[in-house]
Amino acid sequence: MVSGGFYTICASGEKILEMEKEVADRNNREGMMGWLNPRRYGWERVSYWLQRLTGVGLLAYFIAHIYETSQIAGGPALWEAFLELTQTTLGHIILIVVIGMCVYHSANGIRLIFVHGGKGLGKPGRPDYPYDAVSLNYRQKSGIWIALILALVAMLYGASVLFGGE
Amino acid sequence: MEHLCSLGGNNKKMAMLRESQIMKIHYITGVAALFVVAVHIMMRIAIMPYGMSLEYENVIANYQNIPYIVLLESILVLVSIHGFNGLRVILLELRQSKKWEDGVTVLTIAAMIALIAYGTRTIIIANGLGFE
Repeated sequence: MVSGGFYTICASGEKILEMEKEVADRNNREGMMGWLNPRRYGWERVSYWLQRLTGVGLLAYFIAHIYETSQIAGGPALWEAFLELTQTTLGHIILIVVIGMCVYHSANGIRLIFVHGGKGLGKPGRPDYPYDAVSLNYRQKSGIWIALILALVAMLYGASVLFGGE
Repeated sequence: MEHLCSLGGNNKKMAMLRESQIMKIHYITGVAALFVVAVHIMMRIAIMPYGMSLEYENVIANYQNIPYIVLLESILVLVSIHGFNGLRVILLELRQSKKWEDGVTVLTIAAMIALIAYGTRTIIIANGLGFE
């Protein structure tokens, strides 16, 4: 294709108005909604976006934690004042959610490293009706469930430490 | 042919690392971060009660301990690389164009360097506080 101003000329000589093409491209792009849509792919899709949401959440927490710990440079008064802001019930609940995100992201991330290395995907087979992908097998599904259960257990342990009065 | 990643996804002139190499770095930093963060959390809850470990004197004492400083700096570098590369991957999945890919890559690298520099500054200052 050769681009020429508002028009693009195809190999066949057909001219396409650039603006129309751009609108069509935008209509085909699902963007964030396609990313978040769990309906078409089952648990694997839920795992896909949970991995991304927990990753973004953990990065946000990490940046906040770096800022929080930098308050130590301001001396004991500033440190104690800042601790009072974070050592609250809401602060503890946020920390428990962070623990859950961290454990899920880690456990599911290890599963994904194996998947990208081709481990646990099964052998390729003939695509027969109902066309279930061999790679989305019980090993992968159980891996997702194990990650979720581990996250729940870690959150319960975190809650016992944070609210246990230690 | 492997897709070349660069400061931007498809600009071969600026190519620095293949996307496959970047993903290897992503996995290595992820697994390494898992271990150092686990040690960091254990230091918060195993040696003394969680609340006591956050007291000013105990936190400053941590910054006087050279092995613990190495651990903190490792966490800072590993999590920053892993986190900002993960953010870059997510943003590149949402939209593809040379301008977007170059912009996202430059911004995430700049943010990563800024965060590492800010965290290192805290470690250096807190380390100096104990000697006053």
